[in-house]
Order: sequence, then C-alpha cells, then structure tokens
Amino acid sequence: MLRAMIKKELLLVFRDKHALMALFVMPAIFILIMSVAMRDQFSVKNIEFTLYVKDSDKTEMSREILSFLKEDKNFLLTDDKTNAEFVVVIPKRYEKNSKKKVSINVQNSIKNDQIEAFKSMLSEHILKARFNFMSQSVKEYSMKASRTLSSLDVATDALYKVKYNNSKVLPNATQQSVPAWIVFGMFFIIIPMSTIYVNERKQNTLTRLNSMNVSVLAMTFSKSVPYFLINQVQVWIMIAVGVYLVPFFDTPALSINGSVFAIFEIATGLSIAAIGLSTLIAVSASSSEQATTIGGISNILLGAIGGVMVPKFIMPESMQKLAELSPMSWGLDGFLDIFLTAATATSVFEDFAKLLTFGLVALIISMIILQIRIKKGL
Amino acid sequence: MVKISNLTKTYGDKKALDNLSLEIKKGSVFGLLGVNGAGKTTLLSILNGLIDFDEGSVAVDGLSLRDEKRAIKSRSSIIPQHLAFYENLSVKENLDFFASIQNATKQDYEKAIKVNSLELLLPQKASTLSGGQKRRLNIAIGLLNNPKIIYFDEPTVGVDPKSRNEILDSIKEYKKFGITVVYTSHYMNEIEKICDEVAIISNGKLIEQDTLENLLSNRVSDKITVEVMPRDVLQTLSLELLEPTLIRTDAIKLFETIELLNANDVPIKQIRYGSTNLEKHFLDLTGESDA
Repeated sequence: MLRAMIKKELLLVFRDKHALMALFVMPAIFILIMSVAMRDQFSVKNIEFTLYVKDSDKTEMSREILSFLKEDKNFLLTDDKTNAEFVVVIPKRYEKNSKKKVSINVQNSIKNDQIEAFKSMLSEHILKARFNFMSQSVKEYSMKASRTLSSLDVATDALYKVKYNNSKVLPNATQQSVPAWIVFGMFFIIIPMSTIYVNERKQNTLTRLNSMNVSVLAMTFSKSVPYFLINQVQVWIMIAVGVYLVPFFDTPALSINGSVFAIFEIATGLSIAAIGLSTLIAVSASSSEQATTIGGISNILLGAIGGVMVPKFIMPESMQKLAELSPMSWGLDGFLDIFLTAATATSVFEDFAKLLTFGLVALIISMIILQIRIKKGL
Repeated sequence: MVKISNLTKTYGDKKALDNLSLEIKKGSVFGLLGVNGAGKTTLLSILNGLIDFDEGSVAVDGLSLRDEKRAIKSRSSIIPQHLAFYENLSVKENLDFFASIQNATKQDYEKAIKVNSLELLLPQKASTLSGGQKRRLNIAIGLLNNPKIIYFDEPTVGVDPKSRNEILDSIKEYKKFGITVVYTSHYMNEIEKICDEVAIISNGKLIEQDTLENLLSNRVSDKITVEVMPRDVLQTLSLELLEPTLIRTDAIKLFETIELLNANDVPIKQIRYGSTNLEKHFLDLTGESDA
C-alpha cells in the first residue's frame, strides 16, 4: 500500500512542471546569480587601490618601496595622477632621514575606513624596505643583527593571529550562496506538497482513502517519503552546481571541508523540518490558493530571518538572535560549518537535533489536525 | 445487510440525524430520498465509518460499526458525489493506485473496468475524460475491492442523459453480483428506475420506508387529485389547486369537490387516487418542493 502511495505522489509531483522548476531550477539559478553577484563583496583579497607614486628620493630604498607596491595585487599603480585614489609622495632624503614622512593625498570620495586600510597595507611595504635598508647598514658591523633585521616579517598576517568568535570562518560568495539556496529550495516543497494535499482534500480523494482504511499516519508517511527523496536530490544537485558550474563564471568553486556524512545528517534534518512545516500548512489551509500564499510568505520570511537573503554575519546582533528562531538558520549554520570547517556529524548534531525536533513536532500537530478534519468530514 | 437503530448525530445544536431507524435488505437496490440537509450524506458518512455517531447502533453485514469499523470499511465502498480521483494520472494509473491500496484481485480489477466500459480509456489522462467518463471512472474505483455493499451519493450530478442511462444500467448489473446498493439522488425518476425499496428522510428523521411498489400504490396515500378543464372560475373557488387544472382533495371531501365543480360548470377530465409518481409522493410527505 505504501509503495503505491509513494509512487502516486512521485507521479503527481513529476507531472507538475511548475513545481519542478521551483524545486530544482529556481535554487540553481539563485546559486549562480548570488554567487557571481556577491563575489567581490565577500572577497577580502580583492581590495584594490589605484595610486600614483611620486618618488622624489630616487634611492635604493624608495625604489624598493615602489617595487613592493608593484608586486602587491591590492595596489594598481597608475601614471594618471588626477584619477588616482591616492597620491603617494616619497620625499627627498627619505632614505637618509628616518624622520621624514611619506605623504598621502587622498581623493575626497575615499572613505575613512578605506584610508585606514590603505595606510595599513602601505606601512607593510615601507617598513619592509626600511628594515632591509637597516639590515644593509649594520651588515659591516654585525652579520647577526643584519640577518635578524632582514628576516623580520611585518605583514599583518605574520604579526597577528586572528581568531573569530566560536571559530567561525567567514564564507566566500559561493560558500554562502550554495547552502543558503539549498535550504531555501528545500523548504519550497511547501508549494507542491500543499497544493496536492489541498486538492486531494477538495476532490474527496482523502475521504475516499480514509474509507479504504488508509490511516492518517500512512497518509502522512507516504507523502513525506517522496519529498524526502526530492530534498536529497536537490541538495546534491545544488552542491554540484556550486562545485562544477559556478567556477565557469569566474567565481570560486564550492569547497567542502567537512564530512559527507555530516551533509547527509543536515540534509535529513532540514528535509524533515521542511516536510513538517509543509504538511502543517497543507492540512491547515482551506484552499490551494491559501496554502500557496501562506507557504510562499512563510518561506520568504523564514529565509529573510534565517540568513538566506542577507548573511547572518553582517546582521546586527539583535537580528542574529532573531535568526536563531528560524529552522532555515539551523540548517544554514550546519551546512556552513561543514563547508567552511572540518565539521563532522557529531559537531553538527545540535543543528540536526533542532531541525528534527521542529519537523517531528510539526508533523504530529499536522496529523492531529488532519484527524480532526477527517472526523468532521474534511 | 444494514440495520440502523435509533441513530442520532448532532453538529453543535443541530440534529443531523434524529433517532433514525431503518433496515436495508441484502442484495437490494435501496433508494435514499431527502432534500438538501435532510441527513443523507451524514448517514452515508456514518455507514462508511468516515464520521462517528452519537447514539444508537449500526450493524453492517452482521458487524457492529462501533467495534468493527475497519472490517466494515473493507466490505463496503462509497461513490462520492464529487469526483474522487487524480486528474493528473491516467485512468489506468488511477485504477492501479486504488487497486493496490485495497489489495484488489486481478479479477475484481478487470470486472470494474468491464462493467464501466473503461477498456479503451485506460491510457487516457483522467483530466481529458468527458463528464460521463469521469463518473464511470469514479464508480469503477469503488468496485475494486469487490464490496458487499456500495453507497452512491448522487452519482449522476452534472451527467448528460446518455451517460446517466449507462450509469444506471451498470448499477442494475451489480444486483447480478449480489452487491447491495444504497442510492441517493435528487432525480426521483432514477430512484423509480433502479430501486426496489425507498426510504424518505426529512430533518434527520425517517418519514417512510417501503418498497417502491407500495409507495406508489393507492394504499399509501389517501390523497386524490382531480384534473379538470381550464376555467377562470377555478381561481375563485375554495379548492386546493396544485396546478391551474389540478385540484388536490381527499376521500372525505371528494364528493363535495365534485358537486362544487359541477355547480360551476367545470368539466372533470379524470380523478387519480394516491400519488401519481414518486416525486409527488415525496412532496406530499415532506412538504418540500426543492427535491
């Protein structure tokens, strides 16, 4: 009996072209668009300043500074002084007089945080050149002191070891987009599931099934299995889009650092949560229009709150706390941990447990509502 | 086959069924008549185990509905008024699905197709069927479990006359298989055509139950109708006019009525005793006009 019901549900879903578009094509397109669109916003390596350098000193040290700046991909040296964001002037006698300052002329449109970033990055090269000059100067007196000075690394990455709160690593555009739209796409089963459910109720097929001794538990289970399978297929298709398709658009490919089993775990939890919510909406709605509207709105709201549309790490703290209420956020956190860190099935268990609990509670409430509606003649 | 005793079902303050008792004989085609809201659908839903009842008892094929609902469900089938199948599946896919749900035998599966003449429609998508073909599919699904009793809830609503006759003919066939049929319809002529016995219910109460023959015979009603030639004076006389030329009276007043008509030169065409058909009898009993 269950096999027949599962087969029937799969036939109905796969004959609904709009549902298939919403479940598979829509999230894949979102992944592509959002990964490419946010590529630069999420990349910390791609800060690029155009600068014009006037070397008034013309010494070995000033030439070394110039050479370091040319090698640094964050700087784009230009000969066009008027259009440069920064004009850097190395004054005369800069090498000889350590009290001399490099002057920076900044265009009005440049913001303070950009100026600070520019100064910090420029300092690395000036200091490196100065240390190299000092190393050469002390060489004839002390080889050891010379070696020490030349080995000094003043790059910020060498000076600071940054640890993020809760060991969170910031994702790149693909790492953010893929899990976000996987989660959103999985919850989109609300639309086909509730439409089929409401139609069955309206067309009395559920009553007919009930008259054929099909229990509410069997109805719910047989509807859940096909959508669980669809969700699992969705996850792997979207991951494949992130790994293989996104790089074609000059955007970093999705890298998976955690375990595959952990992906299965979070995908299972998410699917049960999505099925629970979808079933709850389907049994509560009185028409397919109502189900589609409520389903669509709740999906968008949960997505907006849960960090799908706007990444959680750029939200203010109060919004981040609010995000914790959305099951989409639990799933997203789980996937981000798997993609960014070497998360195992054990380390994402908390997210899985929350999703599983949410889904099972929603399913139990749905079955109670359906039982009541059947008793009342639907 | 079905024994209903003192059945009561209430929805809030409204009694949908009020102390209803009736019996349905095995192998009969039983007509259930009543206007909208009379309690027909509630009764069918209870008999199918779809909804619970408050008081009374129901036995189907010797089994108590309260205690053996699942067993009763597997022996019965309901043909709902609304088309209860999947429009996006083919006729065959629908039949296969409902057959699997009920563990139908190959023999019953083929019988359901044959009786409802669905052989050539099997590959067709259900949504593309005509109204009559959809009704036949709806009925075929109900036959898949080889039921001992089958309930038809107004199965010919919105069906063209040709398809209606085909459906009625197929229902007559079930009698050959020994299936008990309970049939509700708004169309009295359908009940007259196929039913052996009829129950009339109104406001959840049984008004009358008898064989169709008895209901239509003279003895069930003392009402008499007098058909006369059209005359203007009829409107001024104190007579109960059913139609401009049809007067209703009874045995006691008949002589008085004839005298009055003669006195006013109204020629009498014919005098009919009892109800002329089931519809008139139904209206007599329930006082309703929208059935």
